[in-house]
Amino acid sequence: MYHGPMHYLDWAATAPPYRDILEAAVGVATERYGNPSSRHGAGRDARALLESARERLGAAIGAAPSSVVFTSGGSEADAIALLSTLVGKGERSVVISELEHPAVYEQARALESLGVRVVRVRPERDGVVSPGRVAEALRPDTAVVAVMAVSNETGAIQPIGRIVEAVRSAAGPRRPFVHCDAVQALGTIGFDARALGVDGAAFSAHKLGGPRGVGALYLSRPISPLVLGGGQEGGMRPGTHNTAGAWAFAEAAARAAASVEARMERARALERRLFDGLRAIPGATPLPEGRLPGDERYSPYIACLSFPGLAGETMTRLLDEAGVAISTGSACSSSKKERRSLDAMGVDRELSFSSIRVSSGRDTSEADIDAFLEAASSAYIRFRV
Amino acid sequence: MDALYLIKIGEIRLKEGNRTEFEQRLKHDLKRRLSSIHSEVRHRDGRYYLTVAEEHAGLAEFVLARTPGVNGWARAVMTSKDIDAVRAAVLEAAAAVVARGAATFKVEARRSDKSFPLSSYEIASGLGADILERFPSLRVDVRAPEATLYVEIREKAYVYTDGYPGVRGLPIGSGGRGLLLLSGGIDSPVAGYRMLCRGLSLESLYFHAYPYTSREAWEKVRDLAATLASFSGGMTLHTASFTDVQLRIKKDAPAEKTTLYLRACMMIAADMVAKARGLNAIVSGESLGQVASQTAENMRFTGSFTDHAILRPLVGTDKEDTIRTARAIGSYELSILPYEDCCVLFSPKHPILKADFAAEREAFEALGLREAVAESVATMETLEVPFSPELPRAGAAR
Repeated sequence: MYHGPMHYLDWAATAPPYRDILEAAVGVATERYGNPSSRHGAGRDARALLESARERLGAAIGAAPSSVVFTSGGSEADAIALLSTLVGKGERSVVISELEHPAVYEQARALESLGVRVVRVRPERDGVVSPGRVAEALRPDTAVVAVMAVSNETGAIQPIGRIVEAVRSAAGPRRPFVHCDAVQALGTIGFDARALGVDGAAFSAHKLGGPRGVGALYLSRPISPLVLGGGQEGGMRPGTHNTAGAWAFAEAAARAAASVEARMERARALERRLFDGLRAIPGATPLPEGRLPGDERYSPYIACLSFPGLAGETMTRLLDEAGVAISTGSACSSSKKERRSLDAMGVDRELSFSSIRVSSGRDTSEADIDAFLEAASSAYIRFRV
Repeated sequence: MDALYLIKIGEIRLKEGNRTEFEQRLKHDLKRRLSSIHSEVRHRDGRYYLTVAEEHAGLAEFVLARTPGVNGWARAVMTSKDIDAVRAAVLEAAAAVVARGAATFKVEARRSDKSFPLSSYEIASGLGADILERFPSLRVDVRAPEATLYVEIREKAYVYTDGYPGVRGLPIGSGGRGLLLLSGGIDSPVAGYRMLCRGLSLESLYFHAYPYTSREAWEKVRDLAATLASFSGGMTLHTASFTDVQLRIKKDAPAEKTTLYLRACMMIAADMVAKARGLNAIVSGESLGQVASQTAENMRFTGSFTDHAILRPLVGTDKEDTIRTARAIGSYELSILPYEDCCVLFSPKHPILKADFAAEREAFEALGLREAVAESVATMETLEVPFSPELPRAGAAR
């Protein structure tokens, strides 16, 4: 049996689950198994549990319970928001950032093939999308604007609040739907949907210690969903409710959200340790180049590091051998040669080809960072070409 | 009940001098691939007959479709040399032809036993009339029939309909023994397949460069070797670690010459392996002009590091044709798996196109790479990939 790496630094791919929550979820699933749509005692009991989970999750993301739609994960939440573009009359266009996770980026490409115009906004060299550029990309027919909260590749925190303001003032009464993939924000830097003013936001349970297969979509105003069915979740996401999953997600989100501030100081200290150590490895550099620890433009939990002359894939393999788990860019697409968002930032191809992503979480220790630095340094010296 | 197959052989017939040896090889090849079951292979008058139990028909057909030297094969019915028995078998075969929707047919008869009372023409026309009477929907078309029913009167009577093509060529081993330079790409498995079909028995050599190439890249090569093994009846795969060789080249050689020198090192290694294993040819998937290292000048340079014959069956083949063959033999989907990820850092942006023979020989030898190559051959690992009717599938291992 695989007992996991000695040093897990791939939290942005998935977080080790809270064991007690997952174990308790088994009890919820087996004992409170009624279908929340059923009109009998077991159904009403499950419905009450589901609604309390909705309330709990709402509190964690800054939303009224009525604005929370449970989904099968972050990707589905993104898809519901984007696909709603296809419903309705007339020309529609979509504005997204070049940084978007494939859940948004590839979905937009699919929309494009169906005739929807997609405008892609490049980030600045620092990996941050400028609100002004988003506003400039708007067209009279723009139906949806999607910009993620935290880049899963570089950790760059996007100025969502200012982007919302820029879109609102540029678009005036047309009011395009502003969607935010907040998967990497919830539980790390935190996310407050109401304060930021977004219309939609996507969340995933497993990134913050909850189970796989559960996510949520925040909706400040109703949209017309493309996928229809039994009318569950206010018609936004048909399919029998995953009561236990929703419960576990809400528990995990509440726990993670409650400790965001308490953990931030520690995360910044680990970030500093990582960057100081990196500086001692000749040739290695963070991406974007010049990122310093403590810079508020970046989540301390995610760092993109480049070791020029050693392919990211090779480094990942060597670190794996040394018991350190990291990934190259987005773990879901690590087999692809392109580093789309780094390209969009204007990062030199050799640097991006040689980049890896180090991401930390609630259990990450100084020892993990030190082990990474030591293994990466010796691998780099031995195998750089 | 038993399944009987009639096997047609092609070129073996032409090679009169070696005919007996070729026939023995083919018989041996078929038996070896079917060693897990009871089978009987007989040959008489240039025809082979394979008999297996009905439950093993699938394996038999897999083997027949992939054994070099088999030109074609058909499921046959054997009867006594009695015209009524033959007619019954022919009408049954005709029923199957009607069932699959054919509208036109012809009967082709051959009589190698001249003591049979009817001539070939009489057999064909008589049975054709019987078929027309029983199946009025069928019409005779001797030029382009949708189905042909064959009747052969030999030591027994055999009845069969249109068969399936084999891979043709010559039995494995009749063309000697060779070493295939097998990479994870599209070309080298096809080159290996082509030479197997010319009767060359093969071992394979793969150059691994861990950590620059991944474990998955090696597994892909192993799966490609297994795909070739389904044609060759088994494949010996040698894996030589070239990490140090590559690092030495990268460190000491001018950037534009790294690919050329790497290929020279591979040829030196292949030469050593071929000598040690008693193999007389080296097989490469090179195609003229496909990439920078595959120019005539560069082939002369790399080829000068061995005195073995270098067989390049794809040298004049268009890539599209190579891909078509790769798809047909089942290697394409494996070859395109994206595990060749790290060559980029070793590949020069502007590689040398036309090596100056004498100058490059001298410059190459001055680098003193032979020792590192010898070390890689000395520590080479060897895996016997057996013949298996279960082919590796792209994605199954991921």
